Amino acid sequence: MAYGSTIKIPFGPQHPALKEPTNFLFEVDGEVVVDVKPRLGYNHRGVEKAFEYRTYVQNIYLAERICGICSDAHTTNYTQAIEELLDLDVPMRAKYIRVIIAELERIHSHALWVGMAAHEIGFDTLFMYIWRDRETVLDLFEMISGNRIHYAMNTIGGVRRDISEVMVTEIMKGLDFLEKRLEYYTEVVKTDKTISRRTSYIGVLKPEDAVDLCAVGPTLRASGIANDVRMDDPYAVYDEIPFTIVTHESCDVLGRVIVRCEEMLESGKIIRYALKNMPEGEIRVKAPTAVPQGEVVSRVEAPRGELIHYVKSNGTGKPHRYKVRSPTLANIPALCKMLLGGYVADIPIVLAGIDPCFSCMDRMVFVDVRTNEKKIWTMQQLRGKEIRN
Amino acid sequence: MKKENEIVESLKGFLKENLIKVTIQRERRIFAHIKSDALRDSISYLVRKLDVKHLSTITAIDLDGEIELIYHLTYKGSTTISIRITLSKKDLKASTITDLIPGAVLYEREVHDLFGIEFEGHPDLSRLMLPEEWPEDVYPMRKEYGIEQLREMVSKKQS
Repeated sequence: MAYGSTIKIPFGPQHPALKEPTNFLFEVDGEVVVDVKPRLGYNHRGVEKAFEYRTYVQNIYLAERICGICSDAHTTNYTQAIEELLDLDVPMRAKYIRVIIAELERIHSHALWVGMAAHEIGFDTLFMYIWRDRETVLDLFEMISGNRIHYAMNTIGGVRRDISEVMVTEIMKGLDFLEKRLEYYTEVVKTDKTISRRTSYIGVLKPEDAVDLCAVGPTLRASGIANDVRMDDPYAVYDEIPFTIVTHESCDVLGRVIVRCEEMLESGKIIRYALKNMPEGEIRVKAPTAVPQGEVVSRVEAPRGELIHYVKSNGTGKPHRYKVRSPTLANIPALCKMLLGGYVADIPIVLAGIDPCFSCMDRMVFVDVRTNEKKIWTMQQLRGKEIRN
Repeated sequence: MKKENEIVESLKGFLKENLIKVTIQRERRIFAHIKSDALRDSISYLVRKLDVKHLSTITAIDLDGEIELIYHLTYKGSTTISIRITLSKKDLKASTITDLIPGAVLYEREVHDLFGIEFEGHPDLSRLMLPEEWPEDVYPMRKEYGIEQLREMVSKKQS
């Protein structure tokens, strides 16, 4: 190959950076990435179509299963959209419980991510420790809801389970332990040389690019832009709870790690405030099954950023259209920008940097090195190669 | 920070007869139905004059003879302005807004893949969500394709 010419490298769907499959076609000049083409849809399950075939109650469970990590963000968004259509007044206690669950979820999601990012840069000690401590949150979830991941707390008109006095004490105890550990990890992230050398000035996203490419969540905030749906477009009881938006000016992967670490500490404070100020009373109101005609745009700050749902109802028992845009899709254009001009060796940590959440393999890319032609095997061709017994 | 009614007033002033209907549904939620020819002008006005920089997503809805596109824009992270246009199924073309808001690039591709809308001027409208062997003229999110029909189509392809 002549000096200075570029080569194309298919990255994924099975690759070193992520536990979930997606595909990127990188064009590299030596060690430098000069072009990136994303190819998504490896786990496109047709959830939006499925929404149109289920009743409003069945859809709560479908919304819960859009994501395995931020399941609560999706149901919060779904239920508050339907509540707006029904013009329901959700009891205050239910709103406080929603905030507590959402913030616990943010802690476990960010802790999972910090562990993964540490693993990408070869810092497996941090990965093991933070995942061990993350178990505290999962145990609390099990105590509150009986489940570690799909808590099924939200329903149209409120929440399904109450948080008792005993649970409040347990959550406080869990937080005492977690906060101490998280403060330590934040300190480690800020001072450790390995982390700093592996993440500083890597995957840079300038503030103006972040805005132009419509980035969301910690990715946007690590570029110094203080946007957070909880503050700007408050839902549940975020307008009553004092908290600050965490931002960082460094615009690189290190900034994204620090923002997430500090957000976990902030979430801890929000949970403490909510537990102390949660009013007594009902946790749900009865919701009518018939939903009138209308449309609603509903937004939530999921752990990965702005999550937007849109629903159009036609007066029947099922929605006419249900649209979901998860924060990962919003961050893909920004991710491509971060990768440009970077080194091949930095691809895994930059990819992991936006905390992507995809999911299942269905085809492959082959590149003929002699002609530089690429072809993609269809499912049928793949099946033709499988070993049959 | 502009109030909802200030945004609505400036939209009315700029769009005049191109504005079909505008409503403030509640605090921080504006819906505006505009003529499809005025799409680029209105988005450009929102971006340049009203500082509306963030596009949350584009929703397409199948309404029998027409497809409705809703551009969910956000003003300073707070007020959502949903700009609605309707396209007849006989002529499913809209102009791209990727030069005005670069973040729209994947949302337009998604709508193109699942609903078959041509975005004129879009840099790359190749497949994004659907597999390569998916038939050219089948748009799974349209109402004419039922879930059972799609399931049969996929299983026939795979066997």
